[in-house]
Amino acid sequence: MPINAATSALNLSFSPATTTGFVIPQSRSFTVTVNPVVLFSILDHFLRRQENQDRVIGTLLGVRSEDGSEVEVRNCFPVPHNETQDQVAVDMEYHHNMFELHKKVNPKELIVGWYATGANLNQWNALIQDFYSKAVLPFQAIHLTMDTALKNDEKLLGVKTYVSAPIGISGKPENCLFLPVPCDVKYFNAERSGLDLLASAMNEPARTTSLTSDMDNLEKAILTVQEMLERVTDYVNKVLEGSVPANNTIGRFLMDTISVVPKIDKTEFEKMFNSHLQDLLMVVYLANMTRIQLAIAERLQLLV
Amino acid sequence: MASTAPTTNAKEGLANLNVTAALDIEGTIPLESVQLDGLVVLKIIKHCREAFPTPVTGQLLGLDISEVLEVTSSFPFPRAKYQVEMMRCLREINVDHNTVGWYQSTYLGSFLTHKLVETQYFFQKTNNKSVVIVHDVSRSTHGNISLRAFRFTPSFMEAQKEKKFTNESLQKKKLTFSNIFEELPIAIKNSHLVTALLHSLNEYEPLPIKALDKDKVEVPLTPNFDTLELSLDPYIEKNLEFLLEAVEEYGQEQSNLAFWQRSYAREQSKLQQYLQKRKQENQTRQAAGLEPLPEEDISKLFKLPPEPSKLDSLLITSQINNYCKQLNQYAGPTLGKLFVVGELQK
Repeated sequence: MPINAATSALNLSFSPATTTGFVIPQSRSFTVTVNPVVLFSILDHFLRRQENQDRVIGTLLGVRSEDGSEVEVRNCFPVPHNETQDQVAVDMEYHHNMFELHKKVNPKELIVGWYATGANLNQWNALIQDFYSKAVLPFQAIHLTMDTALKNDEKLLGVKTYVSAPIGISGKPENCLFLPVPCDVKYFNAERSGLDLLASAMNEPARTTSLTSDMDNLEKAILTVQEMLERVTDYVNKVLEGSVPANNTIGRFLMDTISVVPKIDKTEFEKMFNSHLQDLLMVVYLANMTRIQLAIAERLQLLV
Repeated sequence: MASTAPTTNAKEGLANLNVTAALDIEGTIPLESVQLDGLVVLKIIKHCREAFPTPVTGQLLGLDISEVLEVTSSFPFPRAKYQVEMMRCLREINVDHNTVGWYQSTYLGSFLTHKLVETQYFFQKTNNKSVVIVHDVSRSTHGNISLRAFRFTPSFMEAQKEKKFTNESLQKKKLTFSNIFEELPIAIKNSHLVTALLHSLNEYEPLPIKALDKDKVEVPLTPNFDTLELSLDPYIEKNLEFLLEAVEEYGQEQSNLAFWQRSYAREQSKLQQYLQKRKQENQTRQAAGLEPLPEEDISKLFKLPPEPSKLDSLLITSQINNYCKQLNQYAGPTLGKLFVVGELQK
């Protein structure tokens, strides 16, 4: 899902030689994917900022594809910095220490760039970008911004990613051009359930939720399926009545879905169903027996 | 109870002084629930998933406010020195650096080990309100996240402190497998910004993307139907396998105990015989007008075998109970699904 869909991404191609003399391997299409944990960490960092601080920055860690055109941001850590009207100071020592510590846990994750909160890019961004660019040579550093003030038009936490290109003849560090690059959110199956859980607190006024049991979860899933089926039936009926024009794409999707349902011989299925049921009940029975045994043993022990 | 809490909180700074003061007064209130920050959930999942199937541990940071333990941050825990450095770094960026427990990943709920007991004992000794959060990676892939928070009951803490797990002491403390741990309910809390983020993620039109693992196309926050997955047999199979293993271990433990009982009885009877003999001898000696031989040193001659620790069998029974519970928990939804499929085929 492109989370920066609102930006009109600018894809410029560069001549490979730059002022630094290094070859930038990213001249083709360039994609960035972000793990949700990164976004959560950034927000947490922003919440814990110093009292007089407007924005926070930190280092992004992740992995690159071999040619460097795909970057997966998997982790991040905050870096303290100090910013005034006329100077910026980033705690480099902290950055190095923290990176060393992270390397011990996951040596595969390397520095891929940095993040900042706030939607604006200024000359300090360029300076910090210059530092991170040097840290990730020969690849390009990614700059990720999150609009924590929610001041954009859509009132969303606009997540945007940029790469930089030097401009000007002299190639000063503060001269650079930030180019927006597409950015997706990606996660693994195990994280999915966690994210679902967090999302269930989304519409709660107290912003809290508790863990659900397997049964409740199943019930929820079945209810959702039911609702979807009802919607589809409703649509199909309407099409048959002629009140809604038929949509070929939807029809094809429905066709595909229905064809997935396996057709099994009835007796065969009955057999499978029954044996499965018996197995399951047997297991449950045995498990309960064991528990009863344990409970009796416990009582006896206390009686002696 | 929380006599250590004020000292560990002392460094928290002015803002938390009120909390510390509150703790002093209400320190005796036992913990009732654990509140996890959304970030912590994701961090634990990430760390455990990356290392899967190797079990990993990490540290939890946060604060305990009367009966709720708030966990606001966490980090992985590869070795001892790491922890100190990490804590120092985190303090600089205003993260709560008060240790409130640790987390561990597990495979199919087989987490009750000596290692866990020792670590949790260590944590709970330093801070009475420490908890261990157990995250089951294999269960979480089936669409329902598995996170459980545990802490030792006071009676188990006492037993572990004395390192005494004999029949007698267990009975005196009424300690059985079911009250080693107390499980605490877990609640999840998101910050306002995180709520905003979730809403933003929900706003966007889903577009097909390439997912990281397998060829599945997944978009954030669309309905998730992993729970409807039918192939749960491997899970139950594995669970039964573990259960059998545990039962076998339990059997072993039992034969150990029987062996001890036999040898104890043997030594005991030998001792009695000897005592009897000595008494008779003394009687004859007394009759002959001689000094009686002392009876005290006899017990030194015979060494009664020490009673084996029952900690192992306690843990194993607890583990068996856990597996059985898990099977039951799993069987319910599976039965439901089975009937759903049955209806579908009609």
